[in-house]
Parts: sequence; C-alpha cells; structure tokens
Amino acid sequence: MGRIWLQALLLVALFFGMYHTLRQVDWVNLLEIRETADKTEKKLGDMLWSMFRKSDREVKDKLVTHSLDSILVKLCDYNDIPEENIRLHVLEKDEVNAFALPDGHLVIYTGLIAACESPEELAGVMAHELAHIELDHVMKKLVKEIGLSVLVSMTTGSGGGEIAKEVARTLSSSAFDRQQEKEADIAAVDYMAAADIDPEPFGEFLYRLGGKSSRMGEYLSWISTHPDSRERGEYVISYAEEKTYEAGPVLGIGTWSRIREQLTAGIPASRSSQ
Amino acid sequence: MIAVRPFPYKPGEHEKEKASNSYLMSLIALIAGLPLPIVNLIATFFFYLGNRHSTYFVRWHCIQALLSQASLLLMNSYGFWWTVSILFREGRVTNDYIAYILTIVLFNAVDFAATIYTAIQTRKGRHVEWLFYGDLTHLLVKK
Repeated sequence: MGRIWLQALLLVALFFGMYHTLRQVDWVNLLEIRETADKTEKKLGDMLWSMFRKSDREVKDKLVTHSLDSILVKLCDYNDIPEENIRLHVLEKDEVNAFALPDGHLVIYTGLIAACESPEELAGVMAHELAHIELDHVMKKLVKEIGLSVLVSMTTGSGGGEIAKEVARTLSSSAFDRQQEKEADIAAVDYMAAADIDPEPFGEFLYRLGGKSSRMGEYLSWISTHPDSRERGEYVISYAEEKTYEAGPVLGIGTWSRIREQLTAGIPASRSSQ
Repeated sequence: MIAVRPFPYKPGEHEKEKASNSYLMSLIALIAGLPLPIVNLIATFFFYLGNRHSTYFVRWHCIQALLSQASLLLMNSYGFWWTVSILFREGRVTNDYIAYILTIVLFNAVDFAATIYTAIQTRKGRHVEWLFYGDLTHLLVKK
C-alpha cells in the first residue's frame, strides 16, 4: 500500500513539477498573444467610437474639453495611469450617461455633466469609468456577453452591423456585474484620494441620483444601468471617510460655472472657443 | 514507467484480443471525444461493464485502462473548463493557462503512446503494468 502512495505522489509531483517549470516561460509574449489581443481591442474600440460619433455630436468646445481633460490628467498622473492610453470624448446628449469602450475610450454625455452639482462629482464618475478601463472590465464584459469569437469576427470584417450595434448597446446601456461595479467604485475613491480630490461628493452624487431614478427613468441611464445606487453611495461615502487626503479644487469655481452655463444654454457641438 | 511482468497464467487468444481492445477503446474514444474529455472514460467504462465477468487477464487490463482514463479525465476537465471560461468570461489567455494546457498535452501524449504500446503487447499476450496504475489494479481486481 505504501508503494502505491509513493507512486501516486511521484506522478502528482511530476505533473505539478512540469506545470511549474512551464509557468516560468513568458508564453504570452513569446507567442505574441498580447499583441494580437491589443490589436483586436484597438480595432473594436475605434469601430464602436466611430458608431457613437456618427449618431451623436461630439463636443469640441475647448472650455469643456480642456476642463475635463485637466480632471483626467490629474487622476491619471497621481495614479500612474498612462494618460495617452485614455481617449476622452464628450457627446452632446441629454441622457445622464458615461461609459467606457475598449481601448481606453471614455465617453461622457453632456447630460451627465449638467447633472453634476460640483466638479468633484464629475471627477468621481470619470474615476469610476477610468477604473473600469484599468481593471479590464470592458473586454471581460464583452467576452462574457457577446463571446470572444464574435468579437474577433467583428474586427476581421466578417461581423455584421447588427452585432456592432448590440455591442455598442451592451456597453452604453447595461451594467457591469455587481462585483465589478463595486471594484470600480472602490478604485474610483482610491484614485480620487490619491489625486487629492474629495471622493465624498461622488458618493453623494450616486445617492442623490439613486433617489431620482424612478422619477426620471430614461434620462438617467448611468444610474439605471448602475443598480443599487443609494447603497453604492453609502459605501462610497463610508469608504471615503477612511481615506486620508488633502482635498484641493478640481476646477476653478468660475470655470465650472461657465461650463454649466454653456451646457444649459446648449453648446454648438463643433464650435471651437479659445 | 511501464514494465512487462509475468502473469499467473498464459492467456488464450480470445483473452488477448479483448484485453488489447480495452486500450484501443480509449484511443478510438480519444479521437471521437475531443475536446470533451468525458467520452474516453465513458467508452472505457462501458467496455469494462461488458467484460466484468470475463477472465482475470481481461478484467485486469480493462481496469488498468479505466483507471488511466479516470486520472486523465480530471486534468483534461480542468483544462476544458478553463478554456470555456476564457472563451466566454475572461477573454485573456495567461501564461498559467498555456503552461497548464502544455502540461496536459504532454501527459496525454505520453498516455497515448503508452496505450498504443500496451495494446500491442497485450495482443501478443504479454502482461504490461504501468507505474501506479498497475499496483492499484492489483488491489482492485481479484482472481
């Protein structure tokens, strides 16, 4: 009997020994798998962004884009996120929505900016979407809901337009799973605290819009696609209380007021103000 | 790893053929069953059920073939579901995954070669015992 156990142990050791040895090789780089995956993600991101750009007008107003860029740069710089990998786009639409697309595209609707009462709230939403990008939630969600083979076929030209629309709809108007949303919320608080931006307004924003979601239905996509907003608002605030930071201004009060005024008045999407 | 050992009696022609077929059964199922790892085990198991009242030599080799398939099933199933999770959930191939797949490919290849060798030897009436599986089979199969 002892001999059998010894032989079993030998086989198990052989199996795990071989597995451990093979794990030491960087197969992903050796076989250029990462490169292929990155190319697929880039093509997918460009394809989806061009669809959104065609259906809604992109805001080019420099006051808006520069201000949002400065928030993004601050979040990236303090969290060692390469800002050149993030492509920020503002689209003119009343919907309160923001979402991430593959290859680092971060899309924000003017309706969401208008719904924010302070630049800190907007920074919270941006940090949340940035976290989805950094934690690779976007591709994981697409693979889970659409399937890897369909995504690859889209980028090689054999995928139909209907599939591309379905992918766009999945990313802009359906939630990530509960665990991923929580991960992104927590990471957003971390990003904000590291950048010395007060994270509590982000929690208040979630809490406030969570209360409005039943009344304002279709315009509050970001909240309706991010369920349990009140509960999330509460844990974001309690997690933010544990963090230490020296909250500084995200944007000048005058800048934020002017952005709000412009959005209320309606921005000519293609205008380029200095 | 594999050794030709003496057997208590000299098997007849019919026994040699059946014992050899128990190994061939797992090979045929391997081709038909890819990538579903359970098919091999089911095929070998049903072959054993059909021969469980057969002679000692036949039963012995049916069990050795069955046991080797059972352990392959474990490692192949893990690889199969890992692949499914990459295709439908994770979407990222990792170094750990490739290392695991290569390991099970190597183990399957060794098992494949050993199975062919044993099928040939058994057909000639030689009794082949595998490391671990041979001793385990001795424990399970009574004369």
